Amino acid sequence: MAQLTKRGLIAAVVCSDSFMKLGTAQAKVFGVPDLPLLKIQHPLGGLNMDKVRERAAVALPQLLKVVKEKQS
Amino acid sequence: MSSLSTMLASPGTMVQCDDDPEAVYEFLCEKGWNDGLPVIPPTPARVERMLAYCDRDFDKPVAKIPPRFGAATPIRVAANAVMAGCKPEYFPLVLLALEAMAEEPYNLYGTQATTHPCTPMLIFNGPIAREIGINAGHNVMGNYFRANAAIGRAVRLALVNIGAAIPGIGDMATAGTPAKFTFCVAENEAASPWEPLHVELGFPQDASTVTVIAAEGPHNINDHESITAEGILTMTAGTMTITGSNNAYYAGQPCVAFGPEHAQTVAGGGMSKADVKKWLFERATLPMSRFSQEGIERRFRRKLSDQYANAPLDAPVRMFAKPDDLIVIVTGGAGKHSAYIPTFGNTRSVTQPLRRADGELVKSIQELKRG
Repeated sequence: MAQLTKRGLIAAVVCSDSFMKLGTAQAKVFGVPDLPLLKIQHPLGGLNMDKVRERAAVALPQLLKVVKEKQS
Repeated sequence: MSSLSTMLASPGTMVQCDDDPEAVYEFLCEKGWNDGLPVIPPTPARVERMLAYCDRDFDKPVAKIPPRFGAATPIRVAANAVMAGCKPEYFPLVLLALEAMAEEPYNLYGTQATTHPCTPMLIFNGPIAREIGINAGHNVMGNYFRANAAIGRAVRLALVNIGAAIPGIGDMATAGTPAKFTFCVAENEAASPWEPLHVELGFPQDASTVTVIAAEGPHNINDHESITAEGILTMTAGTMTITGSNNAYYAGQPCVAFGPEHAQTVAGGGMSKADVKKWLFERATLPMSRFSQEGIERRFRRKLSDQYANAPLDAPVRMFAKPDDLIVIVTGGAGKHSAYIPTFGNTRSVTQPLRRADGELVKSIQELKRG
């Protein structure tokens, strides 16, 4: 995602709340401190499809907001 | 090479605090620059002494340590080696281990940041391990021996302080392992009936090597009853076959560390190391039915569909992908115990020989002494 951002594409990372510190730190390490992190509830692994859809429903509005902001 | 004093004078290289050992310990704990245990304060004089056996440029990184990708320069690593309690003679092996872990197949980034409880297991072979006193006998994976404790600890401190493997931020291990304080052994070559690991891998007998494995803590194999090779290996296979192991799904390289008595029994049955690996490859298996229904459907049927999409429930699940993937060493003292060391999944072991700056193999640590 860092490489995509550096190439000028709109990129974001879905990140569960337990991993936000790691995601924030890694965005800085890879030179894209403003890389959008789409925050969802942890965990993502080991979920049934209903729970996965719930998280997607939380992530999607964040993604749309990022896209609108980047395009404006 | 710039001089050590010039490097130490550059901004940000040094910090100041009260020189009382407890004050230094408190300071480092507050900063998060330690492993939770007391340390030797890394003063400039001690760091300089630690570099007495370093033939590299002090300010030239030997590795970049993720997730921060901090530059592991000898001077920075030396500060961590001082903190860990290393003798200067140990220092080249600390650097060597970090260089090996930085090789791509080891996957240092993944092993640092994963939720899995892995840590570098350092296996030393060759004469220098004996020269500097790395224990290969009783309690080899336990406490008490300075070289084992300090070399492994220095590596771990470098992973935290240079690489930022900080729990919850850069080290996401769910529970971790006590082996994250240190996990450093030498192979007991004198007690082994087989060729040592480094010779098996193509290095000369008199080379000194480190092999790094992204390891869990050791799982004991107690067998006081078996008196045949097949008996010992049956018990070994039983210990290896666990459903919660990454090695059931991925291409890691787990390790069987035979105690010398078990190794003698196995070799006495006419089995070479290659025979042992083949035997365990064929028999250290679990029927797929031993895994949970969800595991079968989600992991085996879908993610590993090329092997298991239509496999019967009694299809064997192997603990390593091919016989040569199993690492076999002999270490420890007297007694009817061996150890099995599972690994992280997406990782390969890396073996590196200790070389001088001119590329020649180091035969004695004294060759590296400066001045």
